[in-house]
Amino acid sequence: MGSSGRRAQSAGWRKKSEFQVGRCVGPGVGEGRQVFLPGSLSIQAPSTMASRGGGRGRGRGQLTFNMEAVGIGKGDALPPPTLQPSPLFPPLEFHPVPLPAGEEGEYVLALKQELRGAMRQLPYFIRPAVPKRDVERYSDKYQMSGPMDNAIDWNPDWRRLPRELKIRVRKLQKERATILLPKRPPKAMEDKEETIQKLETLEKKEEEVTSEEDEEKEEEEDKEEGEEEEYDEEEHEEETDYIMSYFDNGEDFGGDSDDNMDEAIY
Amino acid sequence: MSSKAPSTMTQAEIKLCSLLLQEHFGEIVEKIGVHLIRTGSQPLRVIAHDTGTSLDQVKKALCVLIHHNLVIYRVHKRSVVEYEAQCSRVLRMLRYPRYIYTTKTLYSDTGELIVEELLLNGKMTMSAVVKKVADRLTETMEDGKTMDYAEVSNAFVRLADTHFVQRCPLVPATGDSDPGPPPPAPTLVINEKDMYLVPKLSLIVVLAVLHSQAPLPESSSVCSQIFRSLPGSYNISKQVLDQYLTLLADDPLEFIGKSGDSGGGMYVINLHKALASLATATLESVIQERFGSRCARIFRLVLQKKHLEQKQVEDFAMIPAKEAKDMLYKMLSENFISLQEIPKTPDHAPSRTFYLYTVNVLSAARMLLHRCYKSIANLIERRQFETKENKRLLEKSQRVEAIIASMQATGAEEVQLQEIEEMITAPERQQLETLKRNVNKLDASEIQVDETIFLLESYIESTMKRQ
Repeated sequence: MGSSGRRAQSAGWRKKSEFQVGRCVGPGVGEGRQVFLPGSLSIQAPSTMASRGGGRGRGRGQLTFNMEAVGIGKGDALPPPTLQPSPLFPPLEFHPVPLPAGEEGEYVLALKQELRGAMRQLPYFIRPAVPKRDVERYSDKYQMSGPMDNAIDWNPDWRRLPRELKIRVRKLQKERATILLPKRPPKAMEDKEETIQKLETLEKKEEEVTSEEDEEKEEEEDKEEGEEEEYDEEEHEEETDYIMSYFDNGEDFGGDSDDNMDEAIY
Repeated sequence: MSSKAPSTMTQAEIKLCSLLLQEHFGEIVEKIGVHLIRTGSQPLRVIAHDTGTSLDQVKKALCVLIHHNLVIYRVHKRSVVEYEAQCSRVLRMLRYPRYIYTTKTLYSDTGELIVEELLLNGKMTMSAVVKKVADRLTETMEDGKTMDYAEVSNAFVRLADTHFVQRCPLVPATGDSDPGPPPPAPTLVINEKDMYLVPKLSLIVVLAVLHSQAPLPESSSVCSQIFRSLPGSYNISKQVLDQYLTLLADDPLEFIGKSGDSGGGMYVINLHKALASLATATLESVIQERFGSRCARIFRLVLQKKHLEQKQVEDFAMIPAKEAKDMLYKMLSENFISLQEIPKTPDHAPSRTFYLYTVNVLSAARMLLHRCYKSIANLIERRQFETKENKRLLEKSQRVEAIIASMQATGAEEVQLQEIEEMITAPERQQLETLKRNVNKLDASEIQVDETIFLLESYIESTMKRQ
């Protein structure tokens, strides 16, 4: 905080005796160093200062530079002091320039909104696990929520990713191998596209896993206790009489017709 | 493309990255991504521990991030793998629509779809892309027609030649990834920076010069080469071309320079000068729109004369002292202008020192860039807020539209359709209209600010390269 000693001498300066300048330049001497004045110039309301009348020049601290050089002369009216943080939405002095309209703008805008919508539907969009409902419901058995074994839905090129990122699908490998084999032929004959697709993805996952499995089974069995996921789908298929894909409890009604949406996604 | 070290990311950039990741990949990916941006290189277990996420979730998130080229991994000794985020790459996601549109203008719909698929999926093999795009195009064609795979392939090759699309490095056989044969068809990734530069310089002749150049912007191009590469439709004779080139070279903006006379004249595009001019024009425009045209006049004056004293500013700008002072301080306080001390005597006494106003374009550009990041973050947040406020109404309207669509498909009557439409009341319709207008405005603003970011970043990068 500094005050101009010279200002103390002019009579009209009872109230506006001090003014405050933001931090000046740092240390060191050098030719042509830059000075940044970050804050705006403001004068402090000297409630206590006015009472002291004169004697302001002493001990108050001079400014390091000549005020006249920056254009603030003696006796000039400086703007009022700022007593509070600046408003959250300061009013704009000038109206903002309108956004570019026209075909290009519209097209790019539409693209942007489409991309946003599309990315939400892709398997790369990872949703946090749906919190369990209060009571276990019968229909839960029929609803497929999320990827079956907590692995990812898509197939990256595993050669490009570190091995540690692969989520293991394991549960009693030997058992699974024996169960699946007899089941496959009857399943294949049924003309349900979805189950066939499911099987294909399962098979692929199996292939990926079984190739790694032998090497790592010994090392990793201890480490992976916390990471094993229960492979439930097999059990489901055995227990229920109904095909999973047929079940529809009406909750998705109207929400699935994104295929031919031409409207922009908000 | 330079990627910044994590320690140099500002809060504004981190915030923006967080919003972008969350919008495109969900909260889990966002949490992991932002953590990596903030803390730098870390191994898997540390990430899981520090973010309090399960190991599986972290693995999933990292797979997505690496696949989309937002995170890279390095193998250290003793098989420890560390992951590092690339913040600037995340910020690039703002520009995806612009890339797609640019490709459309240069390579038509086929190119557009190729780039779109690659941007959505991060990396893909060429065969996968060609198949997907061809199938998509077939859907839009008339019944019975199919898109020729070869045509899509050709478009793809052209995109690869001009570096719009680039091939991923072949998989090395390191300790932590299974060694395997190189993929039969190359996996491809989008290469951003180059493609946007071309449409920015829109002069016809300049484009011709660019086309006949080697990739380096500094290399010269011979006049006759330029002549040959001009598209035939322009019907420009050699003399007229000469005149154009001389005119461009003499222009005070100095975009094009003449570097010699061999071969009829050697011409060079000075990209750095062009970027600097654009950056200063942006600064001037910001000042004009925020503070008024008088302020802009003062700014241009100081820019032109490099250093000015208080008194000189008042005289040259022909603006009364009080107003000039006021404006100078406004600009000073927002860091568009800076003050420079020139001492007359060795003791730096204030009364014997010159205080000059000057514009440091580089630092002003950096400041403005920072504000741009903040602006976009604000725009995104506001848009999300608006959407959230009206969530219930939006869902209702989507359901109604879906019902109408399915009814139309099954051949419902006009009366029934009208009944369903009336489920949305008039004030609700009004509300939806307002929401749509606001969201569009916010989105368009984002796109606009991103253009400024592109400009400023290019200028800053070009300047730093020369130092």
